[in-house]
Amino acid sequence: MSEFNEKLLLPNIPDLHKIEVYEQNNGYSGLRKAIGMTADAVIDEVKKSNLKGRGGAGFPTGLKWSFMPKQSAKPKYLCANGDEGEPGTFKDRQIFGFNPHLFIEGSLIAAYAMGIKAVYVYIRGEYVKWIKILQQAIDEAYSKNYIGKNILGSQFSTDVYIVRGAGAYICGEESSLMNSIEGERGYPRVKPPFPAQVGLWGCPTTINNIETLANVPLIILRGAEWYSQIGVPKHPGTLLFGVSGHVKKPGVYELPTGSLLTDIIFKHAGGVRDDKKIKAVIPGGSSTKWILGGELDGVKMDADSLKAYDTSIGTGGVIVMDEDTDVIKVLARLTHFYHHESCGQCTPCREGCGWMEKILNRFIAGEARIEDVDLLLNVANNIEGNTVCALGDAAAWPVQSVIKKFRGEFEKRVKKISSEKKYVPPPHLISV
Amino acid sequence: MVKITIDEKQFEVENNLTIIQAARQNGIHIPHFCWHPKLSVSGNCRVCLVEVEKMPKLVIACATQVTDGMIIQTNSGRVVKARNAVLEFILINHPLDCPICDEAGECKLQDYAYKYSVGESRFEFDKVRKPKRVELGPNVMLDTERCIMCSRCIRFCDEIVNKPQLVFTQRGDHVELTTFQGQKLDNDYSMNVIDLCPVGALTSKDFRFKARVWDMSATDSVCVGCSRGCNTKMWVRNNEILRLTPRFNSSVNQYWMCDHGRLNSFKNVNAANRVNAPMFRKDGMLIDVGWDEAMARATSELKSFKKNEIAAFGSAHSTNEDNYLLAKLMNHMGVHRIDFVPHIEDAKQDSLLIKADKTPNSTGARLVGIKSDTDEYSYRAIIDDIRNGKIKALYVLDDDIAVVPEIAEVLPKLEFLVIHASNENQTMKYADVVFASSTYAEKHGTFTNFEGRVQKNKPAVSTLEHDRVLDGMPLSRLDRFGAHNDRWTKGIKRDTRASWRIINSIAAILGAKWKYNKCEDVFNEIASTNSSFYGLTYENIGVTGAMIQKSQEQVTVRS
Ligand SMILES: Cc1cc2nc3c(=O)[nH]c(=O)nc-3n(C[C@H](O)[C@H](O)[C@H](O)COP(=O)(O)O)c2cc1C
Ligand code: SF4
Ligand code: SF4
Repeated sequence: MSEFNEKLLLPNIPDLHKIEVYEQNNGYSGLRKAIGMTADAVIDEVKKSNLKGRGGAGFPTGLKWSFMPKQSAKPKYLCANGDEGEPGTFKDRQIFGFNPHLFIEGSLIAAYAMGIKAVYVYIRGEYVKWIKILQQAIDEAYSKNYIGKNILGSQFSTDVYIVRGAGAYICGEESSLMNSIEGERGYPRVKPPFPAQVGLWGCPTTINNIETLANVPLIILRGAEWYSQIGVPKHPGTLLFGVSGHVKKPGVYELPTGSLLTDIIFKHAGGVRDDKKIKAVIPGGSSTKWILGGELDGVKMDADSLKAYDTSIGTGGVIVMDEDTDVIKVLARLTHFYHHESCGQCTPCREGCGWMEKILNRFIAGEARIEDVDLLLNVANNIEGNTVCALGDAAAWPVQSVIKKFRGEFEKRVKKISSEKKYVPPPHLISV
Repeated sequence: MVKITIDEKQFEVENNLTIIQAARQNGIHIPHFCWHPKLSVSGNCRVCLVEVEKMPKLVIACATQVTDGMIIQTNSGRVVKARNAVLEFILINHPLDCPICDEAGECKLQDYAYKYSVGESRFEFDKVRKPKRVELGPNVMLDTERCIMCSRCIRFCDEIVNKPQLVFTQRGDHVELTTFQGQKLDNDYSMNVIDLCPVGALTSKDFRFKARVWDMSATDSVCVGCSRGCNTKMWVRNNEILRLTPRFNSSVNQYWMCDHGRLNSFKNVNAANRVNAPMFRKDGMLIDVGWDEAMARATSELKSFKKNEIAAFGSAHSTNEDNYLLAKLMNHMGVHRIDFVPHIEDAKQDSLLIKADKTPNSTGARLVGIKSDTDEYSYRAIIDDIRNGKIKALYVLDDDIAVVPEIAEVLPKLEFLVIHASNENQTMKYADVVFASSTYAEKHGTFTNFEGRVQKNKPAVSTLEHDRVLDGMPLSRLDRFGAHNDRWTKGIKRDTRASWRIINSIAAILGAKWKYNKCEDVFNEIASTNSSFYGLTYENIGVTGAMIQKSQEQVTVRS
């Protein structure tokens, strides 16, 4: 693979968030070009580019767009997903902060391609600063007729609205995101029907991640052919890797897909703090399975390569843990997150997440028994695949993977008592 | 139509069905909590997971449509394991207080835990604590810890009553059912959530802690609260009705009934003010007498009036048979002034079940002859003629007509008033003879509802007229196995009689040539002589009722 050094999403151009600067740098020419094409041609171009969703599941974007009905008596909607709730993920806010117009332009092209009447940008409520920047950019784009009625003199009209989330991870899941916009409780919907048939307010809807949409203007402007050459052909483009944990220079690094995980950590993020050894890496946000420090050599960061390590690219949020890390504590903290964020709608996730957390706390307290390792694994297995939405899986995967890779650590933490003795929970573990 | 295979058996089913519907139509039960045939699919309990060939994950039977050639396993190893896992999950934070829970014995969770789970929990931590004894509204109590978050109750209020009064708050294992802030669960149908709740989370304020389910017998009945005639089950212990629950009838009430009917249509049966024996007035006082005495007095007095000095009020509260025999008796006596008093409350009706006519049998009473000639409002003319002294004697079937002020006003003018009454009432004040009649819960009989559906009632509470065992009445565990010295098996048995039987005896004294042994015989005579009822027999009315040969005007209830 040839070196690709260009920053497509976050180029180093000062004040790019201002519309004049953005326009001087080819801004909105992708939209102009798209409007000159047929809607189908735009979708075809995105299909040909092989663009995969950046929201976690890696679904082919062009294919998703093609699911939208061409004719629809009801209005069609686009939801841009900027909920960014996944622990270890902080990339979409960089786009809002440094290149909001790129995202807006991508949304408009998507809206044009699918015949969409309104774009809802769902942003996590804590992102006050970034919401302000984005609103400013939207206002500018309205004033220059990139958004609104008869955009750039064409027949195409659409509106863009920001919706603020209220602090629930589950509202990043696409169907509860729609419920949340509707003012309903953030419960994921049972699928089918899929959003392209029955989405927001019962109308055909597509949901895309912010970063996904930000890739679209350049695909249209420079062509699918060019785009599909960047990085790994089956999963092309650049990714915004958010690197956190025990590294010297945590931050967001834009690199082509297929980049070496070790390059990301050592070349870009400056290596491990105090030059310690790496115990484990979470490659793509908290819901992805862990990679051992000893397995890192040669790991490439793209969908297919990570499959070989039984994990996935997720959101590209790389979490690095050094040799001193107490993995059980980390796992307990992550599990606490899923327990806290489970919407509580479906039985296995609602009940199972809390149970897993309680078992993990027992390990931390040194009160666990040897059977608890398999019990924990079994609870995770009983959640996986049996839930309404993928949060249940996301809670189960880290547990399964940490037990698989660090079973020894669990066994070391077991209380040295005969396993016949009845377990009595210590007072601090009694939950309320 | 599509061909599907469920557990190795092949079926042909309609193609727009979900797996759970297709299975149900073919008698295969797929366990479920949140799914309900009349509510939207929420897919959240995950108990109905089944295995479908070529699908990588188990799927929920409630939300997965059948397709041609689909091969479904409802009991494969994977399904059994997953179902057990889900039940284990549901139980980890469940209080397991079956011994004190009203639902025990009719609890889906209890049943499924026995049937589908290994019956052992590996959960050893403190359970999540949630509010107990929450008064959701005037009729419903919530134990939040027992709730399994199936959302049936919420969907019922949203979708069936159109009164969204319930919601979940909090997240994860802290989710709690509650009402919207400052609101109560007080819609007219609120108590249906008790039946819908698959566990003991929602209980009836009226019934809770009164009886174990297995200690009651359940008799199919029909609610008499209005002219809808919702199908019910009447739950009896110790010869006392403790609760009513709705019984499914797709043509009448689906799975529902209103709170008013549920709470107010049976309490009179065991009330302290029951009329326990016939009475007549002596020295200005009503005194208990024997049946023969009361009948003798009534017949001799009636004979002393001219035919045109007598009138009768049938009753829309009474059965077709009661009214028919009253009409027949009056005909025998040559009395032609006969009608019934309507009880219409226009303000109390809705588009779901509740009808303005607060009686169960206006349609039937009119069809079997309780009306004079063609005058729609002849009961008013009767009242007028009592007022002006033309009518001097009145025979009243079970209806407290004195609650209507203009009637109460004229009753003192009568020289003779004979009434049938099950409970002490306003009209008794003016009565000279009172026959102690059985309530609808103590007799056989039919009602004809607002749209002309004839529905059967049978005794749930026994009187001296019938015996629970000998007459084949439904039995509870106590009825079957309770010992004679067991206090639960000793209920009051009253000396009351079905109104049609009372009329039967009076007619005999007055020389009528007819006599009926069974209520069924009365109905079958109605069916063979009255064109509206042609084709019906007591037998073929069945448990869900049967329509009369109706024409629109026949069933229009006057207001
Ligand atoms: C629990 C949960 C949380 C999620 N949170 C987010 C999120 O914050 N942002 C996001 O883009 N996608 C999130 N997703 C994924 C979305 O459901 C959806 O797949 C994605 O927005 C689609 O966009 P894409 O096709 O452009 O990747 C989440 C999924 C789950 C199950
Ligand atoms: S898996 Fe968890 S978050 Fe998703 S619907 Fe079920 S309970 Fe809610
Ligand atoms: S109260 Fe009962 S019906 Fe309502 S959600 Fe809980 S378990 Fe279901």
